[in-house]
Amino acid sequence: MNMQPAWSSQFTHETIRRISLDPPVDSITWEDACEGSTGKGVKVAVIDSGIDATHPAIQGPVNGYVEIRAGDDGLVYNEEPHEDAYGHATACAGIIRAIAPECELYSIKVLGKALVGTGTIFMAGVRWAIDHDMHVCNLSLGTTKKDFFASLHELTDLAYFRRVVLVSAANNLPIPSFPSMYASVISVASHQEKEQDPYRFYYNPEPPVEFGAPGIDVRVAWQNQQWITATGNSFAAPHITGIVARILGKHPGLTPFQIKTVLRTLAANASRP
Amino acid sequence: MDQQSTLDALAQARETLTRQAKEIEALQQRLQREQFAEELQQLLTSLEATSIILAPFTHSQLLEMVVRTAAQVIAAQAGSLFLIDEEAQDLVFEVAIGPKSQAVKQFRVPLGHGIAGMVAVSGQPMAISHAREDQRLAVDIASSIDYVPESVLCVPLFYNDRVIGALELLDKMGAPSFSPTDMEILALFAKMAAIAIAQSRAYQDQRSVLNALLRSFGEKDPDHRQRLYRGAIAFSNWMEKDTVADTKARKLALLVHELTSYGENEYEMCVNILQSFVTNLRNRQGGYDFSLSGTVQGRSI
Repeated sequence: MNMQPAWSSQFTHETIRRISLDPPVDSITWEDACEGSTGKGVKVAVIDSGIDATHPAIQGPVNGYVEIRAGDDGLVYNEEPHEDAYGHATACAGIIRAIAPECELYSIKVLGKALVGTGTIFMAGVRWAIDHDMHVCNLSLGTTKKDFFASLHELTDLAYFRRVVLVSAANNLPIPSFPSMYASVISVASHQEKEQDPYRFYYNPEPPVEFGAPGIDVRVAWQNQQWITATGNSFAAPHITGIVARILGKHPGLTPFQIKTVLRTLAANASRP
Repeated sequence: MDQQSTLDALAQARETLTRQAKEIEALQQRLQREQFAEELQQLLTSLEATSIILAPFTHSQLLEMVVRTAAQVIAAQAGSLFLIDEEAQDLVFEVAIGPKSQAVKQFRVPLGHGIAGMVAVSGQPMAISHAREDQRLAVDIASSIDYVPESVLCVPLFYNDRVIGALELLDKMGAPSFSPTDMEILALFAKMAAIAIAQSRAYQDQRSVLNALLRSFGEKDPDHRQRLYRGAIAFSNWMEKDTVADTKARKLALLVHELTSYGENEYEMCVNILQSFVTNLRNRQGGYDFSLSGTVQGRSI
């Protein structure tokens, strides 16, 4: 009898699968990466305070909603349209739609007006996104609670294996914030330039923070149909989310590690031979 | 030996006997009541006295100094420190400095309200500029007291890995907005404030433990008493780890505590002497920008 270790069975002569090297991710250009793409067909989840679909910055429909909160007998999921508790999600969604105007937006509301169970609710939001086949998730928030370190790590690995790209804002504070510290996510901080070119970002060869995108004095949508000028890593992450949505619109099926390589190639500090 | 010498010797002997009798009695009492009870009592007195003397520095005034220094270093017009009231689910003004600081202190900020509420819930720092364009931001409170900031910088306060509040600065001077460097510096001040709060809370916890130990001392169960004894030893070890500064402060605190137990006149005299001494020291060193006297007088020692 031919006994093989479980994971080796995928590498027999009969089962091994051919892969395409198109696009050539380590030498791709902006044109090859996303020209002509509007993010159409790409499901983008904003896991945050709930998108206000009526804000002009959203430029189109919000394609799905879920609000998760703590109930008496566990978590409660409400898929009715909701409002933005703060303005934060609308700010992120506005940046994403400005870059990828035809992406499908899903509002996963995990930030409410209570502190109770925020870590658990946040995790449930990420799981909902994985279970509902989102392609990209914007996480302009995280948790610092060490209790969630292992389970959130497992969840982000699951997202990685399912080809769900998680874009996570790093915290400016000297305290580890999850999931931005994990290798399975794309971690983003603000770069120091005030130049408002949404496509100008940098790669950092010394992670955990891998990319620097615009996050200083960014004009963003807010509650009550307003606009504000805001600074924070929260606003850097959606720039990368929008770019990823456009790349996936042109090259569906790229894995998170291919996406990282494409981003690294497109970074403003990458030099071509 | 003349009569006077005999009387003196007798008086001395009586005094010695009386003293020895008292010592024996004290020792017997101490043995009867278990040795550590008295030690605990002394420690409690010491701790109580120290907390009275040191609390204004370790908590309220220290926090105010943190906010004031942060505002000065980062060049902000005003600043506030909020703590989360978990039961009420809102933010309480712990410190407010700058224009209208007294007026703003009366407000509580519900979570889910304004920039500070958002920072407290999300744990993400944030800065905004041109805030006056939307007076419904953090500034609904500010507008009600006729002070609407142009720019806001807010960072969360972490205690262990939990958000316990937010530190906020208003109106960057000399620039339209706060910079990312300002954000990082404010985060360092937030860490200092969180440590001050953590120390103060730990102090309260230790006092509660000690009180519980003393209250349950009458316990008849030998196992329970043994557990109390082990607790007392652990506490005693902890006390011995204090720094030289702590020990000095405790010594001073005990003296003040004793002085204030003699009566109102002695208390007034003690305050006056200390006040004069501290004023003298401040004048020599160029002075601080806060007053000790108001706080001491405001507390019921």
